Amino acid sequence: MRRVVITGTGSISALGNSMEELINSIEQQVCGTKKMETWDQYKGLQSLVGAPAKLPDFKIIPRKMRRSMGRMSLLATFAAIEALDSASILKDTISNDQRYGCVAGSTMGSAEALNDTFETMLPDHDLTLLKSMGFFQSISHTVSMNLAQYFSITGSVIATSAACASSLQALGTGFDLIRHNTQDVVLCGGAEELHPTVTGSFDILFATSVKYNDTPKKTPRPFDKDRDGLVCGEGAGIIVLEELEHAKNRGANILAEVKGYNTCGSGNHISHSDRKAMIQCMDSALIDAKVQPSEIDFVNAHATATLQGDTEEAAAIHSIFGPDTPVNSFKGYLGHTLGASGAIELAVIIEMMNNNIIYPTLNLDNVDKTCNMINHVTTKQNKNIGFILKNCFAFGGINASIILKKYEEINE
Amino acid sequence: MSDQIETMINEVFEESFEIEKDQLKPEANIFEDLGLDSLDVVDLVVALQKKFKVEIRTDERIKEIRTLKDLCEFIKDLQAEGSH
Repeated sequence: MRRVVITGTGSISALGNSMEELINSIEQQVCGTKKMETWDQYKGLQSLVGAPAKLPDFKIIPRKMRRSMGRMSLLATFAAIEALDSASILKDTISNDQRYGCVAGSTMGSAEALNDTFETMLPDHDLTLLKSMGFFQSISHTVSMNLAQYFSITGSVIATSAACASSLQALGTGFDLIRHNTQDVVLCGGAEELHPTVTGSFDILFATSVKYNDTPKKTPRPFDKDRDGLVCGEGAGIIVLEELEHAKNRGANILAEVKGYNTCGSGNHISHSDRKAMIQCMDSALIDAKVQPSEIDFVNAHATATLQGDTEEAAAIHSIFGPDTPVNSFKGYLGHTLGASGAIELAVIIEMMNNNIIYPTLNLDNVDKTCNMINHVTTKQNKNIGFILKNCFAFGGINASIILKKYEEINE
Repeated sequence: MSDQIETMINEVFEESFEIEKDQLKPEANIFEDLGLDSLDVVDLVVALQKKFKVEIRTDERIKEIRTLKDLCEFIKDLQAEGSH
């Protein structure tokens, strides 16, 4: 099978509109969580915190391209522009070439567009004031569709929609498309937008953080004994996957190699985390990568700061990697960017690998006793990193794990 | 009255379709000169319905409209019909 490398990354999140801003913010231990000042108008909404992104001037995107983009697609487009720029791939190169594809996901389409549609239609059950673009902004493949339109992509265009595993599934799908010789270059990732209906969906299930509305920088708290749930964030992450020889032939700066991937179902509950399925997913990714657990230098956990999810994941990681492999989570910085989290967080990991740094889990002050069997990173560490494993686990019992290797040409 | 209709129509094109004022001439073809397409026409109808408090979604005459002047005449006709 062909080898697949990463040649570009782009992101937009609560921590800034570029990879540079994101990494600088993490370096400075910035938590992107804020109190959402207008959310107290919603009766029953307990969690009044979120990690919002600041959208750049979107008018640089021509109106006809932009009209079908809800907030999440705008975020994805900006991330993709940065990713292609960092990969030194021109828009004209990716356009109208069937070997260039796009796989991107989100939990659902634009929540804002869906909400606007129902607010317009329902009071009088009247469709006559509905605009043409509500559909295009709120369909499940809105992110991949809009990226494909913006960049005139004529290769594979696929949407992965598996809530919090969406963008890691996008990366896995792109990995498969390239290693099986269907595509040479694939823009992969995902996007998500913050909206009271999104936070509300988790809130009514008692999965959100509710105790820190007046001290938002203290939440979420992955693996911490005082964690009380997730904080929804928003943003987009786009990663350029490329076939190794294709990248070498054009003199690309290779950032990492994708070595293994797995996605699997838990099949037993729609919302309960399941350590057995997590173990199966990580094990299968290791087999796919032909890598032993002892070779993995650190694990980036999904860890959203829910009570049960963190406990199950810590147990699953311990079962495979034991007590010594360093483990961190980025949710304390970014909030939970749901469908975007896999790609945004993987982009950070690539920086960490190439700088031999492991950033600590933010807001992890006292490790909970149900999570203390693994090696939590609580201060910035310098460590030579060869292999990493990253997890994303989604509602619906959907699991995904990916394994990257630092790319060192001398050893290849 | 006609001037006011023209101003209100031009506002729709500026607000909904980001068309610059200097392009909004009565003879401008809304497709060829102003760049609207069939999806934009759906939104144009919605915007006009809101602006002029009319219901025109299923009015066959919309299909014949080509220029801003045609549109202005159409709205005038609608208002004349409404005043009878």
